[in-house]
Amino acid sequence: MKKLLLLLAILGITTLAFAQHTETILKKTIINKLFTCPLDKMLDTIGQKYRLNIVFERDSLNKFDVVEHFFEEPLKNVFERVCSQNNLHYWIESDGTIYILQNTDDLERLKKLNATNHLFQGKAKLNIEPAKGPPTHFLFSINGRVIDQSTGESLPSATVSVRNTHLSTSTNTDGNFTIFNVPSDTCVVEVSYSGYQPDDMRLDAKKINTTLVFGLFKALNTLNEVTILGKKSGVMTTDTKKVGVLQLTPESLDKLPNLGEKDILRAFQLMPGVGATNESSSGAYVRGGTPDQNLVVFDGFTVYQVDHLYGFFSAFNSNAVKDVQLYKGGFSSIYGGRLSSVTEINGKDGNKNQPSFGVDLSLLSLNAFAEIPINDNSSLLVAFRRSYQGPLYDKIFKQFNTSTVDAGNGGSGGRPSGGGFNESTTPASHFYDADARYNYKLDANNIFTWSLYTGEDVTDNSRALQIPSFISTGGNINITDYTKYGNLGSSIKWFRQWNKHIHSNTYITYSSYFNNRDDSNSGTTIDSYGDAESFDRGTLETNNLKDIGFKSEWEWELSNKIKILYGGFGNYQKINYDYIQNDTTSLISQHNQAFLGGGYVETEIDPDNKLHLQPGLRTTWFEPTGKIYLEPRFSASYVVNENYTLKAATGQFYQFINDVTREDIADGNRNFWVLSNNTNIPVSEARHYMAGISYENDQFLIDVEGYYKTLSGLTQYTISQSQITPGSTTNTIEQDFYNGSGQAEGIEILLQKKLGRYTGWIGYTLANAEDKFAVYGNSFYPADQDIRDEFKSINMYHYYRWNFAAVFIFSTGHPYTSPLSTYTITSVDGNTLTSYNVSKINSERLPDYHRLDLSATYDLLKLSSQKIGSIGLSLFNVYNHANIWYREYQVVNNQVITTNVKYLGFTPNITLSLRWK
Amino acid sequence: MEIKNSLLKVAFSLTLSMLFLSCQKENTGSTSVNLPVVESYLTPGHPIIVKISEQKSLTDTAEYGKPITGLQVFVSDGTTNVQLAEASAGSYTYTDLNFLVTGKTYTLQFKYQSLTVSAKTIIPAKPVNFVTQYDTVSIGSSGFSDISTIDRLSWDNPSSLNHVLVFDCLDGSAFPVNVNSFNSAANTSFEENTTAASYYNLNQKTFPYLGNYLVTLLSVNQEYINLITSSTNNATSQNLSNVPTNIVNGFGIFTAMQADTLKMEVNE
Repeated sequence: MKKLLLLLAILGITTLAFAQHTETILKKTIINKLFTCPLDKMLDTIGQKYRLNIVFERDSLNKFDVVEHFFEEPLKNVFERVCSQNNLHYWIESDGTIYILQNTDDLERLKKLNATNHLFQGKAKLNIEPAKGPPTHFLFSINGRVIDQSTGESLPSATVSVRNTHLSTSTNTDGNFTIFNVPSDTCVVEVSYSGYQPDDMRLDAKKINTTLVFGLFKALNTLNEVTILGKKSGVMTTDTKKVGVLQLTPESLDKLPNLGEKDILRAFQLMPGVGATNESSSGAYVRGGTPDQNLVVFDGFTVYQVDHLYGFFSAFNSNAVKDVQLYKGGFSSIYGGRLSSVTEINGKDGNKNQPSFGVDLSLLSLNAFAEIPINDNSSLLVAFRRSYQGPLYDKIFKQFNTSTVDAGNGGSGGRPSGGGFNESTTPASHFYDADARYNYKLDANNIFTWSLYTGEDVTDNSRALQIPSFISTGGNINITDYTKYGNLGSSIKWFRQWNKHIHSNTYITYSSYFNNRDDSNSGTTIDSYGDAESFDRGTLETNNLKDIGFKSEWEWELSNKIKILYGGFGNYQKINYDYIQNDTTSLISQHNQAFLGGGYVETEIDPDNKLHLQPGLRTTWFEPTGKIYLEPRFSASYVVNENYTLKAATGQFYQFINDVTREDIADGNRNFWVLSNNTNIPVSEARHYMAGISYENDQFLIDVEGYYKTLSGLTQYTISQSQITPGSTTNTIEQDFYNGSGQAEGIEILLQKKLGRYTGWIGYTLANAEDKFAVYGNSFYPADQDIRDEFKSINMYHYYRWNFAAVFIFSTGHPYTSPLSTYTITSVDGNTLTSYNVSKINSERLPDYHRLDLSATYDLLKLSSQKIGSIGLSLFNVYNHANIWYREYQVVNNQVITTNVKYLGFTPNITLSLRWK
Repeated sequence: MEIKNSLLKVAFSLTLSMLFLSCQKENTGSTSVNLPVVESYLTPGHPIIVKISEQKSLTDTAEYGKPITGLQVFVSDGTTNVQLAEASAGSYTYTDLNFLVTGKTYTLQFKYQSLTVSAKTIIPAKPVNFVTQYDTVSIGSSGFSDISTIDRLSWDNPSSLNHVLVFDCLDGSAFPVNVNSFNSAANTSFEENTTAASYYNLNQKTFPYLGNYLVTLLSVNQEYINLITSSTNNATSQNLSNVPTNIVNGFGIFTAMQADTLKMEVNE
């Protein structure tokens, strides 16, 4: 072993090459030998002969006998053969050690065994080269990059520290880091990142003038860390500097129950402070905010439609996503334009070293991706998924769309048959989305990235009818009922490292959103004289938004104590919303455009290792109002000791765009975006005050955060449609703009078990969200999204290649408005009008929401213990609890009939995931 | 350490204040179910009739609420305050045909269960120059006929006042336009909001039945438009709201209108 280390040291190979060296030995070494011995003896022989450190449990492997003649076989094949024959796996750790495993969970035990052996033999586990001589440089700064060794993908939020000092930092979204005042050029830099093996590097006079690259190896897939972590908690990183931040890496999402798709936005809903009971929206209800108050940024561009299938699935393909950050409030001045929260999604660069492919197949959709390195400097990732109209899709579709109701006459489910005159069709419906990302590295300091996202939901309920002769003398009708909504977004990013201390990201972005519905019928009828008459009527509703933007974000590290973030942005937004009836009547016609632009500056101040202060200021000029909006922000944290951290944040936030819902009971509500203006839609404003304390040790994390928010200039824009009589051909549209204010407050408690076979967390939120709109009176009432108590219990158990998860969610019911009584009067035409006497707005509560989801995932492993896929079974709402979404009221025979419209009941799903490299 | 202490203080005072705020009791009490329902349409030249009834419970199958009897109901024109007589249970009248005058404001007032119920309305001007383009119109037999205009009703409306048209098929439902049509259960009388225009275009879809029609043009106040344009169809707990009413401490309508009529024939 000593010789091997010496050999490696002489060759000057740094640590990240140890594993590669072992791989090379395995591939290049050719074996010509007959083994007739127990397996442990064989491994001893090979280890000694080829200077490999092979670690195994002698007692167990002694029981396996090897009788095999290897003839011109590479050593790798020998390992694979004996492992395969004896149901074993092998694993190469980043230090080059080969572990022989009966179960993947054995690794930890064997690692300890290995360390003890070394200690016992008086050999320190030394896999870092010694200093070459006395230090020659002092108090300099270093910069570098942390990447995944196998794919070349940069790793954000990895912890980088200098051994035996207090110097520590974490990598930014591009995987870059800078450390100032490094004491000497003989120091050791250590890097750690969740899900990867830690790495370290000895500095020398030469290295400190280059960009240090740390290529981390993936850790063996064992669930000894929870998958979703508050970054603030320091479990994943030691970055205690941020308040209310959640971070997620989509790769581990297959360990949680899912309904057809690994859903990054749904996963956040398992954390305290993010509402988990809105099955009809995968948008984030964060701390009493609504999804339209959550800014969703994907590779630099804003995404306006964040979900598919009436909100059931988020629009983002987890295979194309590297990581996601959710800022629950009090966020940095880099972000703006939303009142409540920010979800920042970074796309994957794709494997830069070798092509890799993957497929996920579930009862809902097919999801495929390819990562292709094009040349040394560029790589391409494409990902595509499409739903198919299987039973699971139909079940969810019908939950949100009642227009498929069979009008009797048998459920033929296709085109109506000739003689009948029913409308029993099942609309053709699907969603798809596609991602493409091209990464081009011009040189070490300039990287260009082009990212494209497009997604659509299409429902086509169009059909042709023959008018039966008993109604008319003939004719035909073409009914068009076509709904399409979606997004197209793209960005070009230029990353530039100007020098060791300054780098910038500059974006040109484009994002568009459209939501169109054509509900019309046209055709001919033949009147009693035999003359054909043609007709064309119906409604056409179109909403489209275009957002073209430019932004440049700069980071300047002045010293270990001060970092300045600054930048500028400009956006041009244009929204068209038309609702046209019978080709001529324009019911709604809104055409708005706006330019907004501004800048921000923020300083990160770390006077010592305990205190972190982050004051910032953002300013925006909004053309329609002609005003400048100033948004001061401030956040701070204080590390009391190694267990306790205190943190607080405050800030002011403006929003210039609003999401509007046009209610449509039959075909699902439809959402539109409208810009603020100077008249009936004001620019809305929020103030956040939040503070928290966290306690953390090796095993547990307890995190408590409280928040208080005030909101003003809120707009409720409702569009209602009334049709007075059945004979009436024109609808009247009523648009109401109600302005009001709101407030939200709450406490979030998170208790997390971080290590072991059993991991998970309990989250509890006590919250209150209220609105005050003059139209409903002068007092605050519970906001639609108000939830008093929310309890979440996420339990994961790892058993060899199995991962089991149980997720239980309980929450107080949503507030709602109910009829108290009815009254009937006669109108002037002699007909009766029955009206409801309605309770105070949102004064009633729906029953409590609760459900249990279970899942089991079995990992598919190669003999080298590399994960190549998984098979998962998920059970949603296991005990089939009828959670109520809302209530419907109808007057039938003068009585009020109440119908509970329910959320999804028990629903199973199976997912198969495969990966190839 | 000072920073630590003050931060701690902030965190805990915030936490505490939240606990208190979250425990506040919600005010959900409502006595609105006891408020009376009023129905009254004032027209000059006609007696005043005010119908007052109770609301119905959600499970009540009766068409109208129980009449409220024994009330002392007054209508005032600003100078004269007259008491209405209870002609039948819950129906209060005043028969002086000269009491209602165009342009005057009338106030209804009565006490019910210790609350004073009141409402106000103004008598709008009588419609002028109400004419039809054709006295007789023909429509095809098809239920999917086109929506091109077959007749135009017009009147003077220089100030864009609210008007409502009421169509009453005098021959009843004997001759439906569409046998077996989707609208087979259509009423023989129906009203249309003219959206403050000075004309209303008729098309084949306007008429569910063939026959002689009495068409009434009513000049109405905004409170009536508010009532008929508020749909209670498709009510859900997500969009439920009270239908607008101009009754203080009550529900329903107390409004005035004036009419002009014409007759027309609809045949095949």
